[in-house]
Amino acid sequence: MSKKSYAVLGLFETPDALMHAIPKLRAAKLGTVEAYTPYPIHGIDEALGLRRSPLGGMVLVMGVLGALTAFGFQYWISAIDYPIITGGKSAASWEAFIPIMFEVTVLFATFTAGLGMLLLLNRLPFFGHPVLSSKAMKGITRDRYALALEAESEAFDSAAAAQALEAAGAADIEVLPAPDRSPFLTSDYILRTLGGIFVACLVAGLGIYSLIKWFPLLAPMKYMQDQPRLNAQKASTFFKDGHGMQPPVPGTVARGYLPTATGTQEAAATLVNPLPRNKDVFAQGRKVYTSRCEVCHGALANGAGSLTAAYGAKPANLQAQQFRDYPDGKIYWAVVNGKNAMPGHAAYLTEPQRWAVVHYVRALQRAQNATDEDLKVVAP
Amino acid sequence: MRTDTSVHAVPIPEGLLEPALTVGKVTPGSLDDQVLAFPETKPPKQWYLALAVTLSALGVGVACIGYTFTTGIGAWGNSSPVFWAFDIINFVFWVGIGHAGTLISAILFLFRKRWRNAIARFAEAMTIFAVMCAVIFPLIHVGRPWLAYWLFPYPNERALWTNFRSPLLWDVFAVNTYFSVSLMFWYLGLIPDIASMRDRTTSKLRKTIYTVLALGWRGAASHWQHYEKAYLLLAGLATGLVLSVHSVVSFDFATSVVPGWHMTIFPPYFVAGAIFAGFSMVVIVLVVVRETMQLKNLITMRHLDVMNKVILAMSCIMAYSYMMEGFTAWYSMNEYLHHGFMNIITGTYGWAGWVTISCNIFIPQLLWFKKCRSSYFWMILVAIGVTIGMWFERFVIIVISLHQDYLPSAWRIYKPTMIDFGILLGTFGLFFTLVLIFARVLPVIATTEVKAILPDAQPSHGGSHE
Repeated sequence: MSKKSYAVLGLFETPDALMHAIPKLRAAKLGTVEAYTPYPIHGIDEALGLRRSPLGGMVLVMGVLGALTAFGFQYWISAIDYPIITGGKSAASWEAFIPIMFEVTVLFATFTAGLGMLLLLNRLPFFGHPVLSSKAMKGITRDRYALALEAESEAFDSAAAAQALEAAGAADIEVLPAPDRSPFLTSDYILRTLGGIFVACLVAGLGIYSLIKWFPLLAPMKYMQDQPRLNAQKASTFFKDGHGMQPPVPGTVARGYLPTATGTQEAAATLVNPLPRNKDVFAQGRKVYTSRCEVCHGALANGAGSLTAAYGAKPANLQAQQFRDYPDGKIYWAVVNGKNAMPGHAAYLTEPQRWAVVHYVRALQRAQNATDEDLKVVAP
Repeated sequence: MRTDTSVHAVPIPEGLLEPALTVGKVTPGSLDDQVLAFPETKPPKQWYLALAVTLSALGVGVACIGYTFTTGIGAWGNSSPVFWAFDIINFVFWVGIGHAGTLISAILFLFRKRWRNAIARFAEAMTIFAVMCAVIFPLIHVGRPWLAYWLFPYPNERALWTNFRSPLLWDVFAVNTYFSVSLMFWYLGLIPDIASMRDRTTSKLRKTIYTVLALGWRGAASHWQHYEKAYLLLAGLATGLVLSVHSVVSFDFATSVVPGWHMTIFPPYFVAGAIFAGFSMVVIVLVVVRETMQLKNLITMRHLDVMNKVILAMSCIMAYSYMMEGFTAWYSMNEYLHHGFMNIITGTYGWAGWVTISCNIFIPQLLWFKKCRSSYFWMILVAIGVTIGMWFERFVIIVISLHQDYLPSAWRIYKPTMIDFGILLGTFGLFFTLVLIFARVLPVIATTEVKAILPDAQPSHGGSHE
């Protein structure tokens, strides 16, 4: 490739000298005038005829987009995809979305301002620009102010440009050769970069995914799962027999389940009904009687239950004189242990229920054999 | 730089002129030789000594966190009903420290306070380091930090989403945004300075690193135009963040019903406290930096004087906030609030309440005196006092409010363990390790920004005047 020149560069000592030279060089129309300075110089944009930076508009658009994205995302999640009522508010109550909308707006706007400025407007990062490898660069980032006449077309006359710069007061004039490759980003370069980024993202994504899956299973992390506790139905080294669940201590009594009365019915005759005879106790006794006893012994305790005929059973007629003479303890014993074909009811009746049903049986017996005296008690 | 009197119809009296921002003759070249050459010199012995101390502290913290990971957070003193303790105290404390940097770099930039240019870089760096220290705490507070990504709303196999009505989730967004924006702001400011370092260094390795980091910055006027616009926009956006981040942190408390937390004054109160604590930390670090790095001509006593005035103003706001807390409790006629407030001044932890009030309200009043604002001894005393006081303020808010809430049968006295203190020490180690490394490898003063405000840095006519 022939050694064409890309630009001619000259240095100035003060910002004043730089500003004075700009209109002269622009009037000469030898090439695009560009300034290189160590810090931003006020008024240079107008002097060089630069267009206003479009960054403000870009940031506004992206900021609004950020707010809408955040609102839509939160609304969709909180009101549609996974509605949860929090604090009694409607699932679509948008007021709670405002903090995150603000944060996402700022995030979008910031990245647009920063990356938009660097990548889109300034086309950075870019390491191939001819000015970067010029001798003047050392001064430009320190304390010198440079003006460059940059080639606009093939007809660029570097000698005339150098002359014009000198006439404008520039020192250390330098002709920058055109680089072998395009000084600007090519589509090939961008494609390769994007491809590289894609592969890197893929590797990073898969790497992070597997890390997340495996990491909690590694040595120090899983210690937290190895807790010294007993699991139901699991072995444990804590007890000698290796069982996690242990039988209760011998003699343990569950609440409400006192040991069943054993021994003979005659021995139980001395037991005294501990419950008072009041409305609640009779109500409970009645409930137990109707669900457990009535089906055989009958609603009137006369041995004529609904099952009696069907199965040919002969349940005791509790209205018989024999049973009316029974002490409470003997009825209690029969309820608990069963008698003849009748099974014991201890397994599902608590102690108070057993005694309550005894009271109720007594009430049924008395009701069937009521005297005029009984009516007097009830009458006002 | 003195204000150009020629543009005003009436000459400004001498006493009202803005004092010089630098001491002695400073030119763009001498500035580079002073600030940018520093990272290329060999660190002195004292630096290695300081690094050894901070790395030891960091090591203690890492060991304590490692112990926490392997045994669970039962290693800490947290216990019902004080489920939030050192972890959240330290989180709020460190996030607050960061606020000074953003205030200096963003709000003072918008107000055209040009003295900020010399100290903005360091303050921004401290913001980033402080937020790094802060995010450690929510991560370890969740107990299984390797599952901390559950905090983010992402489609997952459990078909669950995060609760967007929870201030804790707002916090996730606020802190992450804050860190990203601060980092972006800091890096954008660094690019031209790194370009200067790239062009002056002779070391091949440094040149390669700086070349990559400077992204090929070449100082073109067309680039500066977009750059300045971006910087202005970022300053405006970051200004909103300064006010929002600690407000959102305060929502973690204010939206709950714990007596002593449920107050509308919390957001501004937290923001003022954050700036208060942050400025104190910046003063401490700046005094050390200006003495040990020979930057007295750039970070002048005037800078410290102005910083101290801000601390004083914030102290007064804190005093008002504390009084409002008492007033709210009294005016509410609510026995739980009464009890909560009396706990601060007379309860088991009453001493912590008085440490807070003394360090944050009484001691900073010294700064009314010019003598104290211009004396290292007094300003460091105040700054350290404020740092301690602001830590205890969060202790007061969190532990005192939690340890006695509505249910007296649940009350309990909280006692931190050695592991709690070790982790706190570790974050101080991390913070100062990063500060020490930063001071040695990157320009501690934004040379580009200072160059732009030096005398004769701008054309004497035709340009818009700041």
